[in-house]
Amino acid sequence: MDFQVVVLAGGFSKKLVPLVSKEVPKALLPVANRPVLSYVLDLLEQSNLKDLIVVVEGSDAAFRVGGWISAAYLDRLHVDVAPVPEDIGTAGALRAISHHLTARDILVVSGDLVSDVPPGAVAAAHRRHDAVVTATLCSNPVSGPADSGSSGAKDKTKKPGRNIIGLDPSRQFLLHIAAGAELEKDLRVQKSILRAVGEMELRADLMDAHLYAIKRSVLLEVLDQKETFQSIKKDVLPYLVRSQLKSEVLSNGAPQVEENGNDKVNSQSKRITQSQILANASNRSFHELYAFGPDGSASARRTHKCCVYIANNNKYCARLNSIQAFSDINRDVTGEANHLSGYSFSAHNNLIHPSAELGSKTTVGPHCLLGEGSQMGDKCSVKRSVIGRHCRIGSSVKIVNSVVMDHVTIGDGCSVQGSVVCSNVQLQERVTLKDCQVGASYVVTAGSEYRGESLAKKEK
Amino acid sequence: MHRAVYKVGLQYLAGDITGGNARCIAMLQAFSEAIRDYTTPAEKTLTRDLTAKIGSYVSFLIECRPLSISMGNAIRFLKNRIAKLPLTLSESEAKTSLCLDIDRFINEKIILADRVIVRHASTKIRDGDVLLTYGSSCVVEMLLSHALELGKKFHVVIVDSRPKLEGQSLLRRLVANGLNCTYTHLNAVSYIMHEVTRVFLGASSILSNGTVYSRVGTAAVAMVANAFSVPVLICCEAYKFHERVQLDSICFNELGDPQAVAKVSGRGDVNYLGSLGNKDNLQLLNLMYDATPSEYISMIVTDYGMIPPTSVPVIVREYCRDQLWI
Repeated sequence: MDFQVVVLAGGFSKKLVPLVSKEVPKALLPVANRPVLSYVLDLLEQSNLKDLIVVVEGSDAAFRVGGWISAAYLDRLHVDVAPVPEDIGTAGALRAISHHLTARDILVVSGDLVSDVPPGAVAAAHRRHDAVVTATLCSNPVSGPADSGSSGAKDKTKKPGRNIIGLDPSRQFLLHIAAGAELEKDLRVQKSILRAVGEMELRADLMDAHLYAIKRSVLLEVLDQKETFQSIKKDVLPYLVRSQLKSEVLSNGAPQVEENGNDKVNSQSKRITQSQILANASNRSFHELYAFGPDGSASARRTHKCCVYIANNNKYCARLNSIQAFSDINRDVTGEANHLSGYSFSAHNNLIHPSAELGSKTTVGPHCLLGEGSQMGDKCSVKRSVIGRHCRIGSSVKIVNSVVMDHVTIGDGCSVQGSVVCSNVQLQERVTLKDCQVGASYVVTAGSEYRGESLAKKEK
Repeated sequence: MHRAVYKVGLQYLAGDITGGNARCIAMLQAFSEAIRDYTTPAEKTLTRDLTAKIGSYVSFLIECRPLSISMGNAIRFLKNRIAKLPLTLSESEAKTSLCLDIDRFINEKIILADRVIVRHASTKIRDGDVLLTYGSSCVVEMLLSHALELGKKFHVVIVDSRPKLEGQSLLRRLVANGLNCTYTHLNAVSYIMHEVTRVFLGASSILSNGTVYSRVGTAAVAMVANAFSVPVLICCEAYKFHERVQLDSICFNELGDPQAVAKVSGRGDVNYLGSLGNKDNLQLLNLMYDATPSEYISMIVTDYGMIPPTSVPVIVREYCRDQLWI
């Protein structure tokens, strides 16, 4: 329906080291034993948006992502993987692929989004008001207990991803958006917008889901004119919201009044009557009222609309942009939001693959996932965790609140709590891990105890 | 699904566009754009394929909101023009011809018709009149503005009703123009009627037996006016006439949102029904239209002149069926 979808799949994110590695770019990080990119692609496939462009930073990562997509989605979707140079930001990535964009509107989705917000509803809100940009907002996901050690500098003031959003009374238009570093400074609100709309609702409990619908002509114009814009969320979107009543991006503003000939005057007056009939019958937004000026005549003020779609409370929406978020999303997808995972859970509320072997007296609690070909020894206990494929887990192992990826060997007597263990890792006997992240192919020596650390192989 | 049709459908669904003329114009403009962007697929004829496509757009619009009678007539006109396209025309010529036809329909049947109606009806307004109107009709609004421009001195009473409260936007525009207005709700119409000299009402459609099919509440206003011997004039373009006959309001109507009757928008505390609304033997009914019998109408002002309600089937027979809207 005239929408082109661009999925920004990132590259090797620095925030997610050591989970990401040369073999596993961020887009292919497993959530509930499926790459995180597959959630976005499934959501788009369900909404019948089958022509996609996936943008990946770095040609290595692009190669791997492309390989996985063509294997998994061979006939279901038509995907173009476009590699872009690293670290150019989301706006830079769009600039790099701008010659591929042909449709009238572009739907920009972040590749690390795990959600069931229907893109069709966002598209409908965008089209209904003929908006220039439509953002998707949803309520903040509940975060688990924060890692004490691994989240770097202790940020007591704000959790990551906090925004201040200004909405109009009908909650359809976006009047103000401030995020991240700007939150520490004073909040500056445009007086003209406030005067035009009358009442603005400021909310701090909404999260930006990074699902934007943008008009292509406006997007290309903004990217051309403003060379310094790097990020859609931090630069492009606030710029468009700030300038919505003093639009500089629309090349088709209010219709010009022609002045020559009687015929033109006649048809002009007919057109005026026609537009008056339409205008009187419809609900005008504050943009139109502002553009028409206080005396009712069409003045030269051009406006554009920034709409917003607020997802229902029962929709799940989360972004994989930190290690804490990774654990949270894994926990949610096996727990409350298990309709997203696409698997059907057993009566015990967990999913054990038929080819997995459990030893005697091994318990697997609810909200767990056990991948195919995994073997567990005797007297093990698994609670609220995700275990990948082909793992060999010894006896008397306790795994609580953790994510274990594929091909992991865990020796006897280990205890893994609140941790992330990547692929091909070997944990020898009696290792205790608490709130740690173990990078790929690492070997943890026997008997060691680690709390809140990040273990990874040294790159040679 | 063409994006213009999609946008118009969403606007209907959300209630952004209301009123027979506005909905019809919006739909025809959307179809015009869709026809301009249309290309005939291989192995298919333009007439058959385009008619099927327009049919699919119409089904989509019906899903968003049931069609008004004016829209139905406009669609019949369009399908008729497509069917009558000569086979020798090339595709681009056919498309331009269709778009020109649509423009001509809007111009002649709506815009010029409104001007003619306004000119005729403003002769019926004298200085010192107190006019009453119900809800918000675009023709009546144009009539009142025109009469004000002609310099006549009169006073307007706007009667409004819940839940749509359409009269408020009309009131705002008339007061901004400088008219003296009174605003009241439907429950006070029998009180205010003894001061009123003429009643002007709009219509969604006029049926073959002279019944006026209009916004719910119009029948009540017309009957009260009749009881007070106040003449009732209906201003309605001829393209809205329909050969159907309807004896009461229930047999063909549109249902609005039932919760709009029980709740007041913007006032969450007004919830007097409370839990009673969930009972099985209570059904909330929100009708959008009603039918005014012809004996309460004094005159209908159309672009074919000022006619009594009994002449409507004559116009339907003479001008509407044979000449097919040209």
